[in-house]
Amino acid sequence: MSEIISQAALRALAAEWISSARQVFGPTAINPHTVAYSPLNSADALLLEGFVHPANSIKEVVFPRHEVLYGYRIEGNSVELLDDHAPLPEQIVIAARPCDAAALPILDRVFNWDFADELYNRRRAATTVITLACNTTDESCFCTSVGLGPDSERGSDVLLFDLGDKAYEVRCLTEKGQALFRGQTETADRTAMASSAPPKKFDSQVIRSFVVEHFEDAFWKDHALACVGCGICAYTCPTCHCFDIVDAGPSAGNARVRTWDSCQFPIFTAHASGHNPRASQSSRQRQRILHKFAIYPDKFGEILCTGCGNCTRNCPEGLGVLSLAMEIDRG
Amino acid sequence: MSETSVFEPKIVAYVCNWCTYLGADLAGTTRLEYPPNVRIIRLPCTGRIDFNLLVKGFEIGADAVLVSGCHPGDCHYTAGNYHARRRWILFRELLDTLGFDLRRIHFTWISAAEGKKWQQVVSEITEETRKLGPYTELYASGPAPVLPAPDCASGEARTLDAEPELREYSRSLLAEGTVKVVVGYGAHGPLIVTRPEDAGRLVWSNRCRPNLTAYLKRKEIKALGKPAVVVKPCDEKSLIVLERESQIDRKEIHVIGMACEGVDEPKCASCKDRTPRNADKTFGTAVVPATPSSQPDRLAALMAMTSRERMAFWSAQFERCVKCYACRQVCPMCYCDRCIADKSRPITIDPASSTKGNFAWQIARAFHLAGRCVGCGECSRACPAGIDLGLLNIALHKAGSEHFGYEPGADALGKPLIGAFSLQDQEDFIH
Repeated sequence: MSEIISQAALRALAAEWISSARQVFGPTAINPHTVAYSPLNSADALLLEGFVHPANSIKEVVFPRHEVLYGYRIEGNSVELLDDHAPLPEQIVIAARPCDAAALPILDRVFNWDFADELYNRRRAATTVITLACNTTDESCFCTSVGLGPDSERGSDVLLFDLGDKAYEVRCLTEKGQALFRGQTETADRTAMASSAPPKKFDSQVIRSFVVEHFEDAFWKDHALACVGCGICAYTCPTCHCFDIVDAGPSAGNARVRTWDSCQFPIFTAHASGHNPRASQSSRQRQRILHKFAIYPDKFGEILCTGCGNCTRNCPEGLGVLSLAMEIDRG
Repeated sequence: MSETSVFEPKIVAYVCNWCTYLGADLAGTTRLEYPPNVRIIRLPCTGRIDFNLLVKGFEIGADAVLVSGCHPGDCHYTAGNYHARRRWILFRELLDTLGFDLRRIHFTWISAAEGKKWQQVVSEITEETRKLGPYTELYASGPAPVLPAPDCASGEARTLDAEPELREYSRSLLAEGTVKVVVGYGAHGPLIVTRPEDAGRLVWSNRCRPNLTAYLKRKEIKALGKPAVVVKPCDEKSLIVLERESQIDRKEIHVIGMACEGVDEPKCASCKDRTPRNADKTFGTAVVPATPSSQPDRLAALMAMTSRERMAFWSAQFERCVKCYACRQVCPMCYCDRCIADKSRPITIDPASSTKGNFAWQIARAFHLAGRCVGCGECSRACPAGIDLGLLNIALHKAGSEHFGYEPGADALGKPLIGAFSLQDQEDFIH
């Protein structure tokens, strides 16, 4: 026996959440070629099928692109810090991909490792993730290569399976998830169809040993030549979490702000002296792979990648983790 | 008290040190009264007034800005105000495209002897701005019409006939040592080939979209030695601009031109220029569609909106900008060693991807490309947020063409659009 909900009922539920002052996010078509997770003002904009993976990730919901840490007021010689964070609305992500949801427990660890990041934690606590299992993949998907799959439950509060006839099987995985769907589903004796998984494309252990043992290999130089050094891979990645802290002046309301940053930018590691320990794009590309397959795993015991394929899918030059990892795995 | 309810506009005036500042000084010494709403920022010359300052003025809460300097012919530095005039003509068009309220942006010529004119200008602008009220519409979101989608017929991916010739030619260039590196296309995107035996991985298909001339600026590529670069006719124009701006020595670059059948991008639908003109070697056959389909005129549709709708349109677009700077990195013309967006002393562009920060960045990016963008469309193609970045460049292209008859990438020896001027430059908004 399973719990099911029709697409119309799901939309009606989303509409109800939107109208009840919750902040709801979900995939929307922002133009004929691009689907992105966006804040929803209307349940009609919610896209439930016809795409593989949105161009961005859901990390924005818990780790915004820019976030005020605190404000400040300068009067004469005195500086007053203003720490008044408005209460957060409840946040719901609907139709997240399993590879996006799986990134949240990964981010939890890094934001609570030696210091509990309050701003992250309050957003995380306010967020409920409703995941839609995949029934399509594209050539950039590789969740199965990093230990996940199209129906992974990790990080989700609810997992939906498309039954194919404008209805979804609902599997509530947490209390938070149950609270949203209680009384909204019908019991039926239908269960989800098998989801389609991408083939396994590389062995993550091979990548790990290569990156550790071949730090100075010519491979990095050769493969980074086509990289133009933008931040698409890091910014559309569900797990990349580096940030910069800047004091934004009066035009931004006098605040200390945390903004996303990317290891692919030359100034990411630039020292005040002018020295740059990662002076070439190849060292920056290597760093990204090293962090995902060795540094993070050494610290936290798992890969810093969920195989969503966004870095490869969005890269204007066709690079990204998948292209490099497949190249390494092929030897 | 009834006075407290009267709106007192804040006006920022960027003035030149030699004329308008002295004119304002004269107004003071001759005891001419004018409203105290204007904050004067003195700069050496109008030719040196960075357009980013105007944006900054609005960001920090100005309700109107005024830029004022010496009358044409009177510049202390001979021609600074002529440069300024040309820049404002174009910048004003960009601000109009973005939906700024042009009634809040004023330009005047006021000489050191015109204290009275300063008094009059400030009084008029203050009064006018007071009537307009506070500039709450700056970067405001709201309803905006949807632009017609670009028509992009996406056919099957096809390998084109010239591929074997391209591979063989590249192999021999590398084997003979004519070049040290070939920047071409591979199966998944750009392919940088340094060994003759790898030339067989080069690809020529109707999916060869990136403008590879963007690689010529990268120090990793420069370090390899003399490059050969594969270009389509549309990409080729960037080489002309780069040469004029002394970024490349054309003799030190081997250009492999590919006659084009189109690469299924919106720009291809109406492209008739499909044979490279300045390549060292050309392969392939140009195929011009028998019935060139015309793209919907998106710029015309944008300009048909009200300024408030235009600002709402861009506000919604820029809301999605994550500042990954892919637009900058894929652009052949963005070659600065350190971009203004990366400079922190002072911070000109707010690094946060906030509304203000995103507008400031996109304004700076677009205007730095005025008269330089050749319309390859890489910025729009690369943007992961699907922002219609190229539309701003198209607007500036149109402005350059209409006001000055200027065509970027047409002539390696011609004068640039910005950085040159004519005594005959015409405008109707500087008072």
